Amino acid sequence: MSASPLDAMDTGERAPAQTVGVVLAALLGAVALNLHHTAIWCAPLALAVAAWRARTWRARPKLPGLALRTAAVIVLTVAAALHFHSGGSMGAAASLLVVGAALKLSETATRRDWLVVLSAALFLLLAAVLDAQSLWRMPLYALELWLLCSGLYALGAGRDAPSPGMLLMSSGRSLAAALPLAVVLFLFFPRLPGAFWAVPNPNAAVTGLGNELEPGSISQLAASNDPALRVRFNGALPPLSERYWRGPVLHDFDGAIWFRGPPNLTPPAPLQYSGTRYQYEMSLEPNEHRVLIAMDVPTARPEGLDSVWTYDYELISRTSLLHPVSYQLTSYAQHRGPAALPAAEREMDLDLRREGHRNPRSVQLAQQLRSRAASDAAYVASVLDYLRRGGFSYTLDPPLLGPDSIDDLLFSTRQGFCGHYASAFALLMRAGGVPAHVVTGYLGGEWNRFGNYLLVRQSAAHAWDEVWLEGRGWVRVDPTAVVSPGSLSDQLAGVLPGEPGGGSHLVNATWILTAAQAWQAANAWWQDRVVGFNFTRQLSLLEQLDLGSLQWRALVWLVGAAGALWLGLMAWAQRPRSGRSADALGRAWRDLERKLELSVAARAPHEGPLAFAERVGRLRPELGPSLRALARRYSRLRYGPAASAAELVHFRNAVRAWRPRLRRPRGAARR
Amino acid sequence: MRSSKRFQFLSEPRAAGARALAAWARKRQGEDALPLQLRPRRVYILPTRSGVAAGALLFVMLLAGLNYNNSLALLLCFMLGGVAIVSMYECHRMLVGLKVEAGHVEPSFAARGAELTLQFANDDSRTRARLAVRCGACAITRFSLPPAAVQVVRVCYPGLTRGRQRLPRLELSSDAPLGLFRVWCWLHLPLEAMVYPAPAGQRPLPPMGGPSRDGTQHVSQSGEEDWAWLRPFREGDPPRSVAWKAYARGGPLLVSQYEMPSGAHRLLDFEPLLDLSLEQRLSQLTQWVLDCEQRGASYRLVLPGRKVPQLAGAAQRRACLEALALYPP
Repeated sequence: MSASPLDAMDTGERAPAQTVGVVLAALLGAVALNLHHTAIWCAPLALAVAAWRARTWRARPKLPGLALRTAAVIVLTVAAALHFHSGGSMGAAASLLVVGAALKLSETATRRDWLVVLSAALFLLLAAVLDAQSLWRMPLYALELWLLCSGLYALGAGRDAPSPGMLLMSSGRSLAAALPLAVVLFLFFPRLPGAFWAVPNPNAAVTGLGNELEPGSISQLAASNDPALRVRFNGALPPLSERYWRGPVLHDFDGAIWFRGPPNLTPPAPLQYSGTRYQYEMSLEPNEHRVLIAMDVPTARPEGLDSVWTYDYELISRTSLLHPVSYQLTSYAQHRGPAALPAAEREMDLDLRREGHRNPRSVQLAQQLRSRAASDAAYVASVLDYLRRGGFSYTLDPPLLGPDSIDDLLFSTRQGFCGHYASAFALLMRAGGVPAHVVTGYLGGEWNRFGNYLLVRQSAAHAWDEVWLEGRGWVRVDPTAVVSPGSLSDQLAGVLPGEPGGGSHLVNATWILTAAQAWQAANAWWQDRVVGFNFTRQLSLLEQLDLGSLQWRALVWLVGAAGALWLGLMAWAQRPRSGRSADALGRAWRDLERKLELSVAARAPHEGPLAFAERVGRLRPELGPSLRALARRYSRLRYGPAASAAELVHFRNAVRAWRPRLRRPRGAARR
Repeated sequence: MRSSKRFQFLSEPRAAGARALAAWARKRQGEDALPLQLRPRRVYILPTRSGVAAGALLFVMLLAGLNYNNSLALLLCFMLGGVAIVSMYECHRMLVGLKVEAGHVEPSFAARGAELTLQFANDDSRTRARLAVRCGACAITRFSLPPAAVQVVRVCYPGLTRGRQRLPRLELSSDAPLGLFRVWCWLHLPLEAMVYPAPAGQRPLPPMGGPSRDGTQHVSQSGEEDWAWLRPFREGDPPRSVAWKAYARGGPLLVSQYEMPSGAHRLLDFEPLLDLSLEQRLSQLTQWVLDCEQRGASYRLVLPGRKVPQLAGAAQRRACLEALALYPP
């Protein structure tokens, strides 16, 4: 550390107008980027203080008394801290930062004070970046970073801060120089598979599937256009009927709501897979349930993610899914198994005790149908047949159901959607002695041709059932498909590759659709490749570069080599270069000197132009008269009355035309 | 550096360290000769306090980004780190290639500041900003050099003692552009300051005398008679000889003319000032030289073992003051 007496002297000096302007702009920009999660009064507060300081920046502001100031600090800090409930921890932190910056701004006087304000703006940018990473914000973040760096340059220059344009230029230049290093470090700086310390959940309310199924909850999701997951296939796409994205499995039913219960982490029995093999990469949006959604049951746990199987063939992430995650999986069109169902599991999936003897008519119906059926499989078919023919209809806005909700659905309203029918079917199965549970997940997806992926939105949330049949194992049954095949084909429809008719119900304005898809693809790429770049992605990148086996050592070497290369480039870029003087007359004279430097003599630092011409004249008499004339002309232009531009041009031309003759004339040589 | 009392015990080793460092740099770099251009080899750079603080901050940001697995926070951190490193290169560039073309120290009086004049030239296409020159304990002079500019910089150097003094090393530094790094170099220039004794003493001027034929001094009777008459002001007359009182009374601008009989002069002699110490004697003689100069009177200085030749005008003053500065020869 170098202790500079400059530090102590300079930090106390006043900041000039352009510095104040740039720092205020950076602060307001940072406040604006945090608008979405700071307390509502934060932005007006910052704006008011900034406007006041913009008018009075010259002087150390006259502040109210200590008591009043202390009261303001306490009130504002408490108000910001109270924002914790509505804005979450990051919102509260950002609000506190705005309060701190505004309070500091109200008493800024010296360069050090402005530096504190600028640091607050920097932290506000960090808070915004930690909280929101949408693609559309990126240009704003970049702009804010540029402003912040300009502020740093302005404060660094002290009293001689250049104009805002020059500041933007110098900071832009150094940001551009920093970008390659940042990209290399971004790609190769070793990431962590986990975390150093526990991370609080920033998003308390994540839309998406939860740990329970209340028939109404799915209809709420149906209104949400947010993406739930994206699937990118290596090779063949599954047919429409196989696009079931399997999520949390629900076992406990209390008559109205299905609950997930604590996950059973006993390793499940292996399945036999058959049919088409699908390899795909899932990009999953943040969710609460921690289930790594897959296409039906995948063959193995994904690499790079710390996950574990549950007994229900769910993959559960050991870390909470606060950020989008990506993982690679393999699934097959069909699977069989397990051959035997353990007693505990069987009992759990036949259990109707929690239901407490509600829905008596449904139970009665189940027993009737079961007694007529020859086997479990036949029973399943007969229940599906009942649903198909019973006059049931699919609606997202069903009438309210009473306490015996399944009875109401089956015997009076006969209107519902997937949640209702999956729930009713599972109850009928259990009442008929067939182990069954409800599975929640998504169905279908829209094909994005720009990004070559299937986008599954929250609105595609779906619920279906799995029943255990002797000799076949767990079998997927989707009662909604039976009730209303049309509604499902609608849901499955989208713009699918090779199926131009698939999107017939969508708006026909193709360019809007195209633009929207392109934007979605860009967003998906951004979320997936940039925001979602993590330990796993880094490993797969290294594998692609054939460096996978080296791993950490490879990373260290890569970062080291790239860093050294960058440093070398910087040293080269920052080498001193001869500059062009702003003084045209001086440049012209310098040209003249250069002509003489090699052949005759160089002007000594202490020599004036006239003296130099005199000396050259003595060395080379034949050059004397013309050179003396030029020197006199230069002196007149330099020291005489202000010269016009035309005179300058004439002088420059005269210098250009003038040449020292390299050969001495004969007469001179003889002497 | 702010040195708190608690760390007072460190001041001794720190000073010893600084001395060792200075000796090392002197040995490494050797004597400088003007004009010179600063080579990278002799330009040193270290982070400032702000730089260390910024580094700590970036490290915290890095940890947060890694921990939250937040790619954008990491990208932001890397960008800022990159900017900081770019600023290090820019800072280094503030000095590398800078030309020190000429240096000169005006003679000065002891206990008053010496003025060091340096001429710098910038060949680079960038402004060399926030340059600071420091010479030992002197006050810092700050300046900046636009592209392709030449600038003369004056540095005040206080507290030199009488004699021909070698200036301590010069420190040239800059903390531009961000203040995160400070670049500096040490110059060991062959510059010498001629420091005259501090003028002091209340003794009256020795009376006017002239060389008589037998070599004895002709002494005039009155201390006042060297003032002769007033004459009209002519361009070029020193303002101190103007009779301002007469002018204030509404008269014309007049100039006091002193009597200067040819060959007559005051003898400023070292010997008679027996009751004073050496330095006091020299100070008194210096004072007399200045007084004589002010009056435009002719004078001659006699020091034991040193004859100061009689010269004309400014050369006489310089010769006398130098003789006093370098006494004993």
